[in-house]
Amino acid sequence: MNVIEIKDLVKIYDNTAVQVTAVDHVDLTIEKGEFTAIVGPSGSGKTTLLNMIGGLDQPTSGTIHVDDVDITKLKSKQLIDFRLNNIGFVFQSYNLIPVLTAGENVSFILEMQGAPKVEIESRTKEILTEVGLGDRINSRPNQLSGGQQQRVAVARAMASKPKFIIADEPTANLDSKATAKLLDMMEELNRKEHITFLFSTHDQRVMNKAHRILVLEDGRIVKDERMGADAAKE
Amino acid sequence: MVKTKNMIQSIAWKNVWRNRKRSLIVITAVMLGTTAGVFTSGLMKGWVDQRIDEAIFTEVSHIKLYHPDFLNNEEIGKTIPKEKSVTGFLDKHPGIKAYSKHIKLMVMASTSRGNTALMLNGIDVEKEKQVSRLYTQLLPGEGTYFEKDGSFPIVISDKTAEQLRIKSYQLDVIVLDSLKRAGFPESVIVKLMALDKIRFNTKNQIEKKVTKLLTRKEISRYGGRIVKVSEHYRLRSKIVFTFTDKSGELVNQTFRVCGVFKTTNTMFDQMNAFVLQKDLAQVAGLLPDEFHEITMLLNDGYKPEQVRKDIRKAFPDISALTWKELVPDAGLMSEYMTLYYYIIMGFILFALAFGIVNTMLMAILERTKEIGMLMAIGMNKNRVFNMIMLETIFLTMVGAVAGMGMGWLVIEITGHTGLNFSGVAEGLEAIGWSAVVYPSITASFFFGVTLMVVATGILSSIAPARKALSLNPVDALRSDN
Repeated sequence: MNVIEIKDLVKIYDNTAVQVTAVDHVDLTIEKGEFTAIVGPSGSGKTTLLNMIGGLDQPTSGTIHVDDVDITKLKSKQLIDFRLNNIGFVFQSYNLIPVLTAGENVSFILEMQGAPKVEIESRTKEILTEVGLGDRINSRPNQLSGGQQQRVAVARAMASKPKFIIADEPTANLDSKATAKLLDMMEELNRKEHITFLFSTHDQRVMNKAHRILVLEDGRIVKDERMGADAAKE
Repeated sequence: MVKTKNMIQSIAWKNVWRNRKRSLIVITAVMLGTTAGVFTSGLMKGWVDQRIDEAIFTEVSHIKLYHPDFLNNEEIGKTIPKEKSVTGFLDKHPGIKAYSKHIKLMVMASTSRGNTALMLNGIDVEKEKQVSRLYTQLLPGEGTYFEKDGSFPIVISDKTAEQLRIKSYQLDVIVLDSLKRAGFPESVIVKLMALDKIRFNTKNQIEKKVTKLLTRKEISRYGGRIVKVSEHYRLRSKIVFTFTDKSGELVNQTFRVCGVFKTTNTMFDQMNAFVLQKDLAQVAGLLPDEFHEITMLLNDGYKPEQVRKDIRKAFPDISALTWKELVPDAGLMSEYMTLYYYIIMGFILFALAFGIVNTMLMAILERTKEIGMLMAIGMNKNRVFNMIMLETIFLTMVGAVAGMGMGWLVIEITGHTGLNFSGVAEGLEAIGWSAVVYPSITASFFFGVTLMVVATGILSSIAPARKALSLNPVDALRSDN
């Protein structure tokens, strides 16, 4: 079952004298439960592609269907609600709200969704336990290590049970130990909860864990490779 | 949705304390500004309340009745028509607490040392006490309010005593003894002994002499008090009044000073003197039912305008004036003072708003990435706006509540002790304002200020909120802040 279906996607930046084609006629399908890494050199269009898939940026042309919804046709307000209820985000620099505790950072998104209090509490505890931070629910971000903060960010992204999670270079600020722990945890969540993960990364360790690797160059997908069991399925 | 509101409130409140130092600077500024505004308003209110209180309970009462032409031409013949019916009506009206009838004569007052024009008020002492507390404003030790028997007694003001030179200044042995007991240095007393047995007719004269005798330091420290204790009134002095009686004859009549009063309104003081009604009626040739003025106090809950309307309806040929018309300055202040307090607060909050806007803009700039993240994960524009607006209101309210508390405390303290502006007393009293002020404030004013502070918070949040809403999540997430 396809979660994301991209057809003939183009993004041209035309705000200077020079036109830059950041994404160049990309066709792509992501199935439910995939653990996919988008790799490529700097300026290859990874982040632009992820921003458009995440509804943060509008394409110049082409369509992006998430389930059956063409998100390129949604208005700004609809897009915000769509992101809230369907997409999880993990950012390179964690981006937690520093004045809230780990628990509050996770429950905040559920509260915005209007979830009942009991569900918010149980889901927050459950998801923080799943990422191995059940005992740090009341810790503020500045009381957590970088790896722990990124795990809270993953918990926040997962809390609302999104259709997929976009992670833009999630390990870029982490040391190898924290990276390994984070990747193991995300892989475990992917396996257990069938959450679809879509990464952009330069990190070989992430690539090694990915089940599918998309190589982007000059805005085009030049290689689409499935790894391990997924390759065998194909 | 309620829960989200709570979470946004929680984030907004916590954000206030994120940069504690910067927030505390703004909060302190708001606190000091609010304290100043509340205190200034309290001071003005105290002054105005005292002015109105003095105007009603000493000078003019709530309502005064006259012959319709009396105020245009204060002739002896312009007495209140149908006096019996009028007083009968006043006796029955439930809104009237007490009233007093006056004979009023414009006279020339003379002594061997000076003269002045005066309005003589012929009063019934007991009835007058029910409508005016002038009897409580006699200078201590300077006579009584018609308590001692005597022929043709008169109560004059301190100002009139000065004009008629009934007031003198003398540093005799008794006064010097009192200064010694009050802790004045021996050296000063010795110097002042040179002035024993000298009577000065004016304040200026004694001030000149004292200035010559004492050093500059001694004068600045003791000068005012020395002149004050040297004041002396010649009670039982004769004052000759010249006026035209009812038949048009010029009459001279001697009255003797039995008491000296001083209110906080120099103009009232220098215009008015009080004598017994029977004495004035007798010398002016007026009949027992002939009066020029009826002055009255109302019961609580009755408005002067309403009672005046009733009187006018019953007696259309009588002139009835409320205190607001008789003392227009106090009337105007009572009407517009509340607006004035809010204008003061408005200016202060307007000035503070610039600091608040600047602080919030800095806060938004520092949190660009975070706001971008919130928008990216699905926080809509209303929520972003609410978060920033609440943060601004909280920032403003913390300072304002502290400022209101501090302002209230200062008003409570000074409201009991009073604030003495004796240095400029003459100027203040010349326009009817008391030199000692007791600041006061009402709960409704605090309520109004709270609303103004919230409005300031909302208005101050517009620019920062617009700045935040103009952020593009993709660009904001890429920023360094």
